[in-house]
Amino acid sequence: MVFAWNYLFVLIWIAYLISSGVFLFSRGFLLSRVSKQDFSTCRLLSNDPNEDYHLNEDLVQEIFKDVNASTANLCLPKKSKVVILVIDALKYEFGLYNPDLDNPLPFENRINIFNELLTAQPDHSRLLKFRADPPTTTLQRLKGLTTGSLPTFIDIGSNFATPEINEDNIIDQIIRNRLSAVFLGDSTWTELYPKRFKRQYSYPSFDIFDLDTVDSEILKNLPSELEKSDWDVLIAHFLGIDHCGHRYGPLHEEMTRKLTELDGILRKVIDKMDNETTLLVIGDHGMTGTGDHGGESEDELNALLFAYSKSHKFITSDYGSDNVTMQQIDLVPTLSSILGIPIPYSNLGLINFNILPDTPVPHMTKYQTLLLHAWQNAKQIYKYFYNYALDNKRSFNLESMDSLESQFLILTHRVNTIYNELAFKNFMKDLNAHLRNILDVCRDIWVKFDANQMSQGLLLTFLPIFFSFLLINNSKPIQLANIFTSSAVGFIYLVNFAAGVFAYRYFKKLSMKTEEHSVLFVTNIVSTVMLAILTLQNWPQIAVNWSNTKRFSNVPTRCIFLISASVFFSNSFIIEEQKILSYLLIAVVILTLYELTEENNRFRLKTKFRLMPFLKSLEFGLIVVGVVTIILLRLAYNFFQCREEQGNCGDFLIGGSVKKTSRTHLYMISVIVLLLYTTLTRIYLRSCGNLTGFSINVMLARYGPTVAAVCAGGHMLLTNSRIKNVNPSQIDAMALVIYALFLLQIIIIFVYPLMTYVLPRRNPTTITVNPSGNVIPEIFKKMKSIYEGDQKDQRGEIPVVYGLATIYSSVLISFGVFLAIVIAVLLDAKASLGFAICIAVGAALLALHAILRYRTATNLESCCQPTFTAVVSWYLLSQFCFYATSHQPTMSQINWRAAFVGRSANFDHSNFISGTLVLFNTFCGQIFFLTLYGLLNTEMFALYALFPSLLRRKTKEKKSSSNYSDIRETIINKNDWKSDAQLMDFDITRGDLVLYENEHLFIGSLLKLATQIFMLQGIKVFCSMMACTIHCRHLMVWKIFAPRFIYEGLATFISLPAIIFGYLILIRVHWSVSRMINRINKTK
Amino acid sequence: MNVKFDQVRAKQQLLYVSISLSTVLACMAYTAHGHSWVKIGKLSESLIIPILLVGELLKIFLTNYFNKNDKEIVPQKQKRKSSLPSAGNVFKGIFIQSVCTMLYAFTCVILGAPVVGSYEETFVLSIVLTLLTVTPTVLLLGASGALQAVFCEKSDLLTKTEDIALDLNKHHAAGAILGAWAGSIVAPLDWDRDWQAYPIPNVMGAVFGYGMANIYMCSKVLFKTGKVFITKKRS
Repeated sequence: MVFAWNYLFVLIWIAYLISSGVFLFSRGFLLSRVSKQDFSTCRLLSNDPNEDYHLNEDLVQEIFKDVNASTANLCLPKKSKVVILVIDALKYEFGLYNPDLDNPLPFENRINIFNELLTAQPDHSRLLKFRADPPTTTLQRLKGLTTGSLPTFIDIGSNFATPEINEDNIIDQIIRNRLSAVFLGDSTWTELYPKRFKRQYSYPSFDIFDLDTVDSEILKNLPSELEKSDWDVLIAHFLGIDHCGHRYGPLHEEMTRKLTELDGILRKVIDKMDNETTLLVIGDHGMTGTGDHGGESEDELNALLFAYSKSHKFITSDYGSDNVTMQQIDLVPTLSSILGIPIPYSNLGLINFNILPDTPVPHMTKYQTLLLHAWQNAKQIYKYFYNYALDNKRSFNLESMDSLESQFLILTHRVNTIYNELAFKNFMKDLNAHLRNILDVCRDIWVKFDANQMSQGLLLTFLPIFFSFLLINNSKPIQLANIFTSSAVGFIYLVNFAAGVFAYRYFKKLSMKTEEHSVLFVTNIVSTVMLAILTLQNWPQIAVNWSNTKRFSNVPTRCIFLISASVFFSNSFIIEEQKILSYLLIAVVILTLYELTEENNRFRLKTKFRLMPFLKSLEFGLIVVGVVTIILLRLAYNFFQCREEQGNCGDFLIGGSVKKTSRTHLYMISVIVLLLYTTLTRIYLRSCGNLTGFSINVMLARYGPTVAAVCAGGHMLLTNSRIKNVNPSQIDAMALVIYALFLLQIIIIFVYPLMTYVLPRRNPTTITVNPSGNVIPEIFKKMKSIYEGDQKDQRGEIPVVYGLATIYSSVLISFGVFLAIVIAVLLDAKASLGFAICIAVGAALLALHAILRYRTATNLESCCQPTFTAVVSWYLLSQFCFYATSHQPTMSQINWRAAFVGRSANFDHSNFISGTLVLFNTFCGQIFFLTLYGLLNTEMFALYALFPSLLRRKTKEKKSSSNYSDIRETIINKNDWKSDAQLMDFDITRGDLVLYENEHLFIGSLLKLATQIFMLQGIKVFCSMMACTIHCRHLMVWKIFAPRFIYEGLATFISLPAIIFGYLILIRVHWSVSRMINRINKTK
Repeated sequence: MNVKFDQVRAKQQLLYVSISLSTVLACMAYTAHGHSWVKIGKLSESLIIPILLVGELLKIFLTNYFNKNDKEIVPQKQKRKSSLPSAGNVFKGIFIQSVCTMLYAFTCVILGAPVVGSYEETFVLSIVLTLLTVTPTVLLLGASGALQAVFCEKSDLLTKTEDIALDLNKHHAAGAILGAWAGSIVAPLDWDRDWQAYPIPNVMGAVFGYGMANIYMCSKVLFKTGKVFITKKRS
């Protein structure tokens, strides 16, 4: 038994190695930022003499006594109203005008208004390059444009369920300072800022083939809005040009039309707007030569900004602001200055004075006004940056932080000593340089990949997979106990621990960024070396085993697995992955069927083909099973969810109009399927004899699923029904019952796992009398039995145990029932049907492979060890289940509903429970199938024990065809497994007991199987990581590759423990079996 | 290794293979000629099916024709063969082939083809697959013979010619099915080419796979022949 526990530690060790590699990679690749919820405030300096903070001579004197101290929370009055026209994908080149061009390209010289105004009123208009930060996708850009920060792929702490921004931003600041905003256009804005706008006219943006609807709807409302004067900010977001780029590219005449149209719109707006308004025309990003965006090429990064004001001149470029290029994050502080509101808390941009209207502030000179603005900006950035650094110490380099801090201190002293314009200009130069330094530091951690960690992660995932596969997969199961002795495993853990402590202590000397990184890296390296040493140590036997295996075996299966892993390298394959998986899975089933009926004589039709024997043969039955499986797989198409990129799809919309009408009766079917499933497993378990007796676990297995299934059915019915007045706590109660039963099942498995019933031996000397009956007949019966002889007593000598033949698989199955019901409740009606299909397919696969294995196996070892095809099909099924249960690897399609199952009435806001439930929902396939991976090992024995008829046909055939040998070698002397193997036949009908008797073989093959699945998962996640590395500058990396990697990484973190848990259950059962059998032997 | 070289066998195999290869080449030439691949999916417009059918018939007739001269390879017990098959046999053969076509169509739908939307394309693909896999055997052995060959233990009634042809057919069929299966690999790619439309990659994959199997078998025979030739020369 000790070796079984050793194996457990080996599994944990390998799982740790693989996961740490994946973790390291994700740290380098998935840039993340903690979004802070704080917001800035300020006191508004008012022009109105009645207000208490009135702007007068004294106050100004007061302020300039100590600029540093007084600017902390102070806002200058509003300079003008602002109209912002966001033109999606307005590239810088689109706005240039070159009169010398003879035949302009479709996008050149189409917008003349900028040029006209620039020449006519150079002081009232500005045209700047508006430089975006990658990723140049609209959502991320809008976040950047309104918060002034660098949005990363994952903003930790932001709300995943809705896209609403919870960081401080300019829109919230507008509302908070009692100004008002009006919005027209792309509905992304209203998703980001629900209920913020005074009036909003928003239109969905997802139909990229529609060039005009949104724009023309805006134009309907824009003129009337411009005439009203109750707003301070008006935002209009035009989509036409972006959609035109996506559909036709910039070199199409449609682009000419859209740009000319835009020119007209701009003229109208300029015509209508009043003198007190500043107009800002901005593009959120550019576009590539083909009209796409998302990456970080110059074409995509350079958008356009045009500013115009009728009455106010803009401040000239003498004050240190760049008059050619403006960073997009600079828009937020600039807008705040124009509107007289505090700069949002997490802004990193600088005020660009070039587009600041030059409205005089009473009692202040121009440079004083600008100084106040600039210093306010600097203080805000300082506050944000150092607070962030304080909370996330690991992110920044300490030395550079120190130098930045001292620079800032010098600046704080300088700011109080500025008394003329020249000093101000000099000061601005230094201040801007300093603040840009801070921005660069932030860019390094939020925008740039950490190539070092990424490559380490790749290497450290690959090496353990490679060596453990080499070592474990090429050793015979019985040899494994020799490799992983207690001392070896203990030594491995000891060395790892020592290496970990060492790495933790000296992480700086190892030039690692953090302790965590260093610990993972060093332990992984040390472990890999140890795996390599172990491999070398055992090389002779590995080589022998290797030479014995057939070369080029399993080529089709390997190809299928490699195809499924290479899906990650192409975005179109990832988009269509669900279909590819089902294609491959069907191919695997067909392959299995082919192998089953491979030889002609399998049908036992001698020479002439006749229909009846063909239809009666077992093979035909198997073919029917296979075909039904395939049809089920095809039916699972109906439960796929589509994703945005597939086109013609509405599933990805958050809270979008879910078409309910077609699914009204779907939940009825799923309830029926659920009950059917429970009944079938119960019948199965009962016919195995595992539901006999009255011990608590048997009682739970007998009645628990029924109760749970009824609750699950009720939950589904009530949540889907139209009855609205059901108390939510009653619905919750049903889910809670299921959770409780599941937990109880887990506990019971570890306390008292065996689902067997030892028939109590009859004591020959006592007689049992039932209270109502008579004593005399009983005594007579007893005497008769004694008189008749001792056969009966003899029989009493042999202990009768119910359910011994399926002792391993029954525990797994009864656990699986509860697990499946929990998952079904979490999945809800539609998806749980897909899950049921997956389970049915899994059962069919088990049966097919079990029969195939028994037929092709030549010895007990190959009987224990499932074929590679079986492992791959089981693994693919676990992957397929993800799609069959209506999931898609995109960030917007996480099923958050699962977090509220059983908690809707009194939601406890525990993120841990929510996360667990959502993970259970999302990765139900991996959790279910990989926990039950032991069935691949044991199901063959259970099946043949249950249906010996499968075997009888076999033996009949054996008699008829003499060349077939049914002798399988097995090692009889289980305690001394090193001795030579002896040839003997084992009785398959004894079921799982065979496994018990050959425990080294059994547990060894369990370990081997587990490592094989580790390897499959490892290769997959490795391919995903490779794909991300190769494509990290790809257009679609944040949309497709990175989410797919996140899902695959999470799947790894979930599958590996699931397998270990499955292994744990089996060895716990094994332990109890050996104790029980010892007990029986003793009492005998 | 020391399998005795069978000259007649090699000759027969080469004949058989060369005919099928020329069929494949004809198909390829047809598709490459002036964008004909767009029409492959249409039952009435595509010439692939007639070409393949003619190729199969040619194969049977030519092998029969050439084997008539070779008296030695026709064993004595070949009596069941008459020169022309009976009407019932023809009917049975057609029935089996149409059942196979249905089976292939079913498999296509199962593997993800739209059920109603493109039934014509599915039909074309399944006919092509039937022609490449089942038809040769049916033409060779007749309906019941083909069933026997697939489902029963090896029959002793086969002549040597038939045995050789059957062996080749088996490999060719495997090649065609694998090719059609692998053809789907281009389907999800977003290249927007006209040849990515549903049956085209699969039909071409089937033909290509069939051709590859031919080449494989051909080179195997040639390799064997070459080896024998060289050893002969040496000795």
